Amino acid sequence: MGSRTEFSPQTLSVLAALCGQPSAWQHGYALARQTGLKSGTLYPILIRLADRGLVEACWQEEPVPGRPRRHLYRLTPDGLASATAAVATAALAEAELASTQARQGARLRRGRGVAAPAVP
Amino acid sequence: MSRLGRAAAAAGAAAARGAVRVVPAARRDWAEAVWAEAHEVPAGWPRLAWRAGGLRLMAKEAQMVRRIGILVLFAGAAGAAAWGAWPDSPVSHGAAVQGGIIITLTLLAGLPLLTRWLLGPPDSRAARWLRAGFYAAILAVMPAQAAIGLFVGAVPRGGIDRHTFDVFQGPGVPGSSSGGPDWGGEIGILFITACYVAVILALTARRTPVAPATLAIGTGAGLMVGMAMYTLAPLGLNTRYSTRPWLHGSAADPFVALFWILLFGAPLIVGAIAGRRCYVPDDPGQASVARAWQGVTAGLMSGGVGAVFVTVSGTGTTALLLRSAWVRDWLYHGQHLTASAVYGRELYAGQDVASYILLLIGFPFIGLMMGLIGAGVANGTSPRAKAGELTAPSGG
Repeated sequence: MGSRTEFSPQTLSVLAALCGQPSAWQHGYALARQTGLKSGTLYPILIRLADRGLVEACWQEEPVPGRPRRHLYRLTPDGLASATAAVATAALAEAELASTQARQGARLRRGRGVAAPAVP
Repeated sequence: MSRLGRAAAAAGAAAARGAVRVVPAARRDWAEAVWAEAHEVPAGWPRLAWRAGGLRLMAKEAQMVRRIGILVLFAGAAGAAAWGAWPDSPVSHGAAVQGGIIITLTLLAGLPLLTRWLLGPPDSRAARWLRAGFYAAILAVMPAQAAIGLFVGAVPRGGIDRHTFDVFQGPGVPGSSSGGPDWGGEIGILFITACYVAVILALTARRTPVAPATLAIGTGAGLMVGMAMYTLAPLGLNTRYSTRPWLHGSAADPFVALFWILLFGAPLIVGAIAGRRCYVPDDPGQASVARAWQGVTAGLMSGGVGAVFVTVSGTGTTALLLRSAWVRDWLYHGQHLTASAVYGRELYAGQDVASYILLLIGFPFIGLMMGLIGAGVANGTSPRAKAGELTAPSGG
């Protein structure tokens, strides 16, 4: 059996995006672009991660003039550990799945080769 | 974007900034964050889609879907109850009934807002279901009560029914409608309804230190008490005709014994359980108060829920008895009744619905006293309960 993580694929994509620059604060729109998630999906994920203490958030201290302050996010130390483990587990599971599919495909092709009647 | 489009976008943004306030304070930062980030999204459809996501987030965090659903459900149920109970014929007591309906619905709509402001919203599933159940019970009783009032007040045109009517109700103009609840009776019913609604809303509010499990076990015990009472008296408390028409002679005895045991025993037991299992502070004085509070609440719930159950079931059964021959046959199975005897029994049952008020007053009082005794027993016998068992909200 492949390994499974406790996170959904969408949450994993957010964790992976945050893992990419663990020490840097990231904006919501940047995360949305990296993950391909819409704001209505991304922010509930960030809220849940923040509730679990895996993500920390703060407001930008020096906003661009004429623009509102932006909310910034990064992984906490616990979040980084969880995210690294989860992303690794997910990658392993994906590799296992790909390997299983490849083996099944090969077996199917071999089976067809044996069972196929000879054409006169 | 055109000038009109910009104005619409600005108006939408202003409305959404206002809408952020409906989100609970702990989540408001997040709603504002989505809105602030929208300025970084390219203008046009992408920004609109981003903001739509923000609105979805706000609706979810403010639990708007549930709130709107509850509001629609309440409005529909209240409208149906008022429509069913509204006197549409020239009834002498029509004004009192109409006033009663309007005030009841105003109480049902207004008291939750007041309770929310004073004590906070319900914060457990048990609390929400309990509120919904009580509201459903009150709304269900309204049309049943109105149908019974109409029947009891309708003066027969003649014959033996007229004689029966005169004996029970006094003389009236044949074919007209008389009697029924007057303003005094309506005010009494409204007062009891308001007390029940206020107590239930207060006990199920966040800042009242009642554990959800206390509510659940009290309600469970109350349903048992109510079912036992309904088995004995599906048509009121009058011992001449209406009480237990389907239990003859000694067949009722086990039910009578069971009812008395449950009426006094159930609140005692649930009071003891709730008092024994609740989380108590280190201070012995505070621990006693915490146990007493849980025990009294469980006992009160037991009596109150029992009384409401039997009132709703009994009033509903009586209303159906007046409309459905099937219910009559079910209640008086094996008995051959003449048309006059049927009318007499229906009139008795209809008049006797008022006696449920005695139960609505008496049962909670018995429950409260027995729950207090149960909590005292728990206080005297139990060691300190461990944290995590029936934890009462802190009340903060």
